[in-house]
Amino acid sequence: MKEGRETTGGIEYVVGAEKGIREIVRDEDVMPLLESALSAGASRVEVTDSRGGTLWACGASSGNNDSATVERRPVFLEGEPAGSLVVEASPGSQLRLNDLAGLLCAALNKIITNSLKRMLTTEIHTSVVNRTYEELLETNKRLRASESRYRELAENLDRKVQERTEELKRMHTRLIQQEKAASIGLLAAGVAHEINNPIGFISSNLNTLKRYISRFTEMMDFYRAAIEEADKAGGGITEAACRKWSDLKLDFIVRDVEELISQSLDGAERVRKIVSDLKGFSHVDDSKEDIVDLNTEIERTFNVLVHEIPEDAEIVKEFGSLPGFLCNPAMICQVFLNIILNSLQARRQGLKLHVSTKHVDGNITVAFSDNGPGIPEEVRNRIFEPFFTTKDVGAGTGLGLTVTLDIVTAYGGDIEVTSCPGKGTTFVIRLPAERREHVKVR
Amino acid sequence: MIEFDRTEKRMVLKLVFYGPALSGKTTNLLRLHDLLSREGRGELMVLDTRDDRTIFFDLLPFFLVTPGGLKIKVKVYTVPGQVKHDATRKAVLQRADGVAFIADSRVSEVANNYSSFENLEKNLAFVGIDIERIPLVIQFNKRDLSDIVPEADIERVWRPTGIPVFMASALEGWGVVETFSRLVELTYDSIDGKCGLSEGYGLDREDFVGRLTKRVQGS
Repeated sequence: MKEGRETTGGIEYVVGAEKGIREIVRDEDVMPLLESALSAGASRVEVTDSRGGTLWACGASSGNNDSATVERRPVFLEGEPAGSLVVEASPGSQLRLNDLAGLLCAALNKIITNSLKRMLTTEIHTSVVNRTYEELLETNKRLRASESRYRELAENLDRKVQERTEELKRMHTRLIQQEKAASIGLLAAGVAHEINNPIGFISSNLNTLKRYISRFTEMMDFYRAAIEEADKAGGGITEAACRKWSDLKLDFIVRDVEELISQSLDGAERVRKIVSDLKGFSHVDDSKEDIVDLNTEIERTFNVLVHEIPEDAEIVKEFGSLPGFLCNPAMICQVFLNIILNSLQARRQGLKLHVSTKHVDGNITVAFSDNGPGIPEEVRNRIFEPFFTTKDVGAGTGLGLTVTLDIVTAYGGDIEVTSCPGKGTTFVIRLPAERREHVKVR
Repeated sequence: MIEFDRTEKRMVLKLVFYGPALSGKTTNLLRLHDLLSREGRGELMVLDTRDDRTIFFDLLPFFLVTPGGLKIKVKVYTVPGQVKHDATRKAVLQRADGVAFIADSRVSEVANNYSSFENLEKNLAFVGIDIERIPLVIQFNKRDLSDIVPEADIERVWRPTGIPVFMASALEGWGVVETFSRLVELTYDSIDGKCGLSEGYGLDREDFVGRLTKRVQGS
């Protein structure tokens, strides 16, 4: 059961592993010693292992084994007898063999001990250096692994943030679209009502025209028949024609047709204008940015809201001269619409709304002041929060002012709200006339 | 175990004196060398030191031949205690058959003892030795000093572990052989079970311990 050297934890060198003398001591360490013994007069010197096998020898044996001419001394390794030193002298030699053997033995044992120490020191030193190097490699590997793990984490984080940002952007866009859809729905109801009137008289007029046309046709038929008759009989057409003209009341009809057509044209023009305003407001055909005059856009917004404005409302517009403003017109109209709608909904009777625009110090300010009930103190800092609404369920999305603020912020502007409960609210929108950075607003 | 060759009838065992720096591991070996009979042991081999601090290890070998003809060599080593020589400690600890942990009794050294013992646990695991199974004794050395942890406190902490604890002053020479004897006893029990020392080679525990701890006449 001789155990093989196992490698535990990367250590191969075992302190204490058994060694033979030849593994420890080199020929060049021992041979000079043995040779010097020959010079001193010994005839033969030999070092044997514990079984008597020759390790080192020099000189020729005399074959004599007389105790007077042969001296044996023990050789130790790690304190354990590991062999012998045998010194022979020629018979009759004057050599003090005993002393020489003692001296040689002391020197040999010292050489063995020192060589062993040197070897142990070297071995453990090498082992420690190797081990340290391996540990460094291991540490290095672990550091690399952890570094790449962190790098991966960082990359993932970046990707995750990007994904989340994309998602938020999509959600935001969807919310704006929802809010827009909600306000367009509201407008559509008003627009439908508004279109009803012109369309009503246009279709009534057209019905009348249809009847009138049948009379014209009848008159034409009459003329054709009468002309054919006159060709045969010769005369009397004029009188009969006048009678027929009068029967069909064509004098009135000819007068009325003009009236009907101009009325219908007028109605059609009104329909066209309403549709055009609505389109212009929603800018369904145009989502690109353009340089617009904000005064025009405010007018446009009021136009589409005309049916929402109570009869007795007093709207005062005080427009200053504004520079062209680069924006998505649909977006900016949405801002005005949301604020105007809030005022309109805040007070149905006796509403006074004062709208003013100015261009001061590179900023365009648009101020809306109403005489509504004002915003209660406790909710004033929540009005821009998404889904915050004081309106009845279903009446508002709670996104109007959120979207408004988002749009204004995107254009580098801000909104200031001052409100005095019971007296009214003022929204002041401030927009930089020159946008410093181009923010894409959808 | 460094080597066990049934054919050659050779067995080489390794005992290791572990512990924090300057706790007296080498002094323990020096005392054993002085106190134990020359018969059956070799000379103490002290590898190069630096400022009298062990940087490699010290070795005190013992030899005995059992009635059954088994040649047993017991190599007793110290490790360098300084933290920086951990790789050397691992190398020396490999294939150990028993460990004597030499602690420094001084109050100021409590933390060092603790971290060195932790280091022993870690390194035993590293070289694949189960600390629960290896023969292990603890010696609280330097009992001759005054600023030391009271024996009662040591007892209270270590008794529950079941590890034999000895008080000693290696400098004054007491407690050293007792520590070593106990380690040798425990080692015999552990080896006997695995290699059949009494049955196969006619070596009983008393004989083994007696031969390894035979004192110099008159000491």
